[in-house]
Amino acid sequence: MSNALSVVVDSLPYLLQGSFLTIGIVVSAMLLGLAIGIFMAVGLVYGNRFIKYLLTAYVWIFRGVPVVVLLFLFYYGLFNYLGWNFSAFTAVTIVLGMTTGAYQANIFKGAILSLPRGQFKAAIGLGMSELQAIKSIILPQILRMSIPAWSNEYSIILKDSALAFVIGAPEIMARTQFVASRTYQHLSLYITAGIIYFLLTWAGVIALRKLEKYLRIPGYSHHGNQ
Amino acid sequence: MLKKKLFLLCSILTLVFAGQALGAEKLVNGIDANFPPFAFIDKTGQPSGFDVEAMNWIAKEIGVEVSHQPIEWDGIITSLLTKKIDIIASGMSITEERAQKVDFSVPYWVITQVMVTKKGSPLTIDEILTGKKTVGVQQGTSEAKWLKEEAAKKGWNFDLRYYSSSPLAVEDVLNGRIDAAAMDDAPAKDAVSKKDVQIVGTFGMHEEQFGYAVRKDDKELLEKVNAALTKLMASPEWNELINKYDLNK
Repeated sequence: MSNALSVVVDSLPYLLQGSFLTIGIVVSAMLLGLAIGIFMAVGLVYGNRFIKYLLTAYVWIFRGVPVVVLLFLFYYGLFNYLGWNFSAFTAVTIVLGMTTGAYQANIFKGAILSLPRGQFKAAIGLGMSELQAIKSIILPQILRMSIPAWSNEYSIILKDSALAFVIGAPEIMARTQFVASRTYQHLSLYITAGIIYFLLTWAGVIALRKLEKYLRIPGYSHHGNQ
Repeated sequence: MLKKKLFLLCSILTLVFAGQALGAEKLVNGIDANFPPFAFIDKTGQPSGFDVEAMNWIAKEIGVEVSHQPIEWDGIITSLLTKKIDIIASGMSITEERAQKVDFSVPYWVITQVMVTKKGSPLTIDEILTGKKTVGVQQGTSEAKWLKEEAAKKGWNFDLRYYSSSPLAVEDVLNGRIDAAAMDDAPAKDAVSKKDVQIVGTFGMHEEQFGYAVRKDDKELLEKVNAALTKLMASPEWNELINKYDLNK
């Protein structure tokens, strides 16, 4: 029993260092997903039929294929074939970013569609171009509305980042495995890894909740009587 | 506003490709970091092991810097061929099939394959092979391939289960999920020293030799590595390493 504990204590710094890579992957992927998601949501709502078909196909592909399959497909398959020598970190970030982008596109699309259509028409009526209307009227609202759903995406992507170990990125899961191979203390080590991931999820969700409060526009709310 | 968005986009892209920036002129050694005593991650979080230290010595001899990159064993040759790594020094057996894709250095170690069971288990090799038992083996290893092929030829009826690393197979031997695990004798000895398992014996597979693997077009590197490796094997440091990692036969 004491051996299990002492192994955890000894390797804790090493495991915790993996969280830098994990956080790096998650932050980069979420930001990439945000950019993709906003762009796609606007296209899905306001675009012409051709654009809608393309974007919908993208969303279906990335929602329908498991992340681990995509990781191997991109890292060993596609990037190889194209001769792009990306690191494991970059590959994971791109794959997770594109995946969460697909989900975020749906989140933002739902948010846009929940706004009264009259707002958009009024903006056009006031002389704004479609782009201006989207930028100044629609986006500020939906981005604030979507923070709860976004923080859900965050916790999903944080958990998916553990898959990076299959292509060799030395993040938390990979490091836990290495120590377990050397010491055979699987139980205590994987409990520790689980706790680390839990704390990262928890901290992130709380931070996003604070962000939501900070960004709240006084007098305008969709929260009802909360 | 557009400038801000452009800046944001650029910073996102920079973040995403941050991992790329550090690809300098180094030798990258791909290792299976779950393969003690040849390659593993030590207490301080650094790659260590017989092959890792030998590679450090050889790199110093040739005059290059070397870094050790843990890679899933299953994809390690692909990683070599796609230039994600430059050499594989990690307990890799020289096989004909592998030699078609990569070039091997001079052999530096002889390895026998053994069966590992729970301490006190009465199972014999014969029973393991023909008594409808479950046998665990690491994916992508030469013993995995050999066992599969020989079972078909000799009519052995064991159920072969694949694991991503030998230590995981050992864990399943300990908790009873499988009856025995097949692996190289060196990691088997390592497992025996740490857990309640025992080596039953060899199961008929031929002896193999370990060699370092490089890409076929990397002739110059192979020459340099061979020269340095031969020198290392003739030096007293070789025996020091063998003693350090308890590889005495």
